[in-house]
Amino acid sequence: MVIEVEQLVKTYGPVRAVDGISFEVKKGEVFGMLGPNGAGKTTTVEIIEGLRQADSGRVTVLGMDVAKVPARIKQKIGIQLQAPSLLPLLTTEEILNLFGGLYEHSLPPGEVLELLSLTESRKVMVKNLSGGQQQRLSVAMAMVNDPEIAFLDEPTTGLDPQARRGLWTVIEEMSARKKTIFLTTHYMEEAERLCDRVAIIDHGKIIALGTPQELIRNHFEEKAIQFFLEPPQPQDVWRALPGVTNVAQDESETVIYSDSIPATMSAILKYAEQHDLTRELKDLHVREASLEDLFLKLTGRKIRE
Amino acid sequence: MRAFNKLIIANFKQFIRDRTALFFTFAFPLLFMVIFGLAFSGEQDISYKIGLINNDDSPIGTSISESLRQIPVFEITEGGLDETLAELEDGDLRAVVLIPAGLEESLSSGQAADITVYYDPSQTTSSPIILSVLNQSINVINLQLTGQPVLLNLTQESIQAQQLRNIDYLVPGILAMSMLFLGMFGGVPMVEWREKQVLKRFGATPLRRSTMMFSQVAYRLILAVVQAIIIIAVAFFAFDVQIVGNWFVLLGLVLLGALTFVSIGYFAVSRAKTVEGAMPLINLVQFPMLFLSGIFFPVELFPDFMRPIVDAIPLTYLGDSFRQVMVDATPLHSLGFDVAILGVWLVVTMVLAIRFFRWE
Repeated sequence: MVIEVEQLVKTYGPVRAVDGISFEVKKGEVFGMLGPNGAGKTTTVEIIEGLRQADSGRVTVLGMDVAKVPARIKQKIGIQLQAPSLLPLLTTEEILNLFGGLYEHSLPPGEVLELLSLTESRKVMVKNLSGGQQQRLSVAMAMVNDPEIAFLDEPTTGLDPQARRGLWTVIEEMSARKKTIFLTTHYMEEAERLCDRVAIIDHGKIIALGTPQELIRNHFEEKAIQFFLEPPQPQDVWRALPGVTNVAQDESETVIYSDSIPATMSAILKYAEQHDLTRELKDLHVREASLEDLFLKLTGRKIRE
Repeated sequence: MRAFNKLIIANFKQFIRDRTALFFTFAFPLLFMVIFGLAFSGEQDISYKIGLINNDDSPIGTSISESLRQIPVFEITEGGLDETLAELEDGDLRAVVLIPAGLEESLSSGQAADITVYYDPSQTTSSPIILSVLNQSINVINLQLTGQPVLLNLTQESIQAQQLRNIDYLVPGILAMSMLFLGMFGGVPMVEWREKQVLKRFGATPLRRSTMMFSQVAYRLILAVVQAIIIIAVAFFAFDVQIVGNWFVLLGLVLLGALTFVSIGYFAVSRAKTVEGAMPLINLVQFPMLFLSGIFFPVELFPDFMRPIVDAIPLTYLGDSFRQVMVDATPLHSLGFDVAILGVWLVVTMVLAIRFFRWE
């Protein structure tokens, strides 16, 4: 175990931002903390990193107590903060050179730039970098001391899909080098793709913990049928169909969970035909249940609301 | 130590890429010096235009008018009463001297005669000087006329090693002003770092806060020394300002001055949340200090009720110490007293800055 968290609590006035969280992170795994904005992800991560103090509970990182020796732990971990806070008049290479100089042990800037595909922007000042490049530089800063654990706090937020996939590749490469990575995100598909294990967090509490496959398998025997229909039909219509276990509707988008796909599917098509809605029924498809569905099932809300 | 050096190098790299900072640190004080240096250099050979009406063509009248022409600071133009008085009113002449007719007759009969001076009392700086010069000249002529020997002579000897010109007086003031600006703006990058969470980013590394703070202050002090060297070099090569004092004492004063204003600057912005919020706080402290200190005007010019303020301002003491060390000007206070007052300001504001400074 490289991180052990026991009964962590942090309150801000009346708000219990972190409400008795316990979990462990194993060496070499990509651990994801998932949850909507304001769920307590950043607070939890910053307590583990030694940037904030918990009200109660215990955190050990690499066998050391965070509350007692934060400076020694910071030597061995790499931290990427949510808001990239960089010095606009320095080049990417100079930033890595400066931050590398703050650690006892650091990697040559060129090597880190290579890893993050920033070699071409080596002589470019931060103020002239694109948003995606700045985000990658901020991840590079978390890598410059060749850390045993890298903490990445929503590294892909605000990136376009292409830049996001680029960063995923970087994280997969780091994982291949046996680095432990602690990732927070509110993108479920990101967690499913990257993480060995995830903790789903809501209102400061962990509501599910395990590998993505485990979690989905444990909570869903059914699959999901998804489609768009305008105008939306009352939910009770769908609930009455054979095999349906649950229904989620968001304006014209409808998701029906079913343990008997052929029966449910033909019932849906029949209903559409009877009500002359066949043309309005769009993008009908069957898929496996996802973490997104799991969050919905556990909280009754979509994660990005 | 490695982190300390890297931070200082990073600071200088950012500084030389920041045109605004470069301008205010180097160009602004030099511009100030050049503008004021040129403006004041014209006053080196002062002369006053004086109108003279000589209504007496006897040898005595002629000798008086000759004596007045010999006075180096007067530029005499002769003319009629009406026209010269009109020129006096227009400000073309500073004073008009009237030598009455019949001077020889009245003097030989033993009667005193009047020489009249017309002047403009609104010319507050020149009129007293002209009147006193005329008074003395008339006294000397009087002695000559009565044939009495001159027993006492006033020999003028300046107590200063060299004759001070305006620019000599100005340069130490500019140096003190530069230390004020450099120090007061010293806290701005910290506010910016706090605002943009750079401080938080550094907090995520093993870097100690004290190392970061020391590197920031050390960087400011290096900048202060570079700035002082440039100002003194330009003053010497362009305006021939000779530094007569001890260079090590001067270096010590530059460092003490910069450090004191860095402390005051940090204290002023210790609670500011944004750079926009910090700037008015800095100006609130530095502009009154700039105008109420004695660095550009003699402290005697301030009204009495303002003297306690003038006497409390650290800039007054820095200017005074620079002036006595650089150009050997007459000190307001002893050097030790200046240093002690600066030291008190330094220690008190440093304690307050450390006490109130917010990291987040």
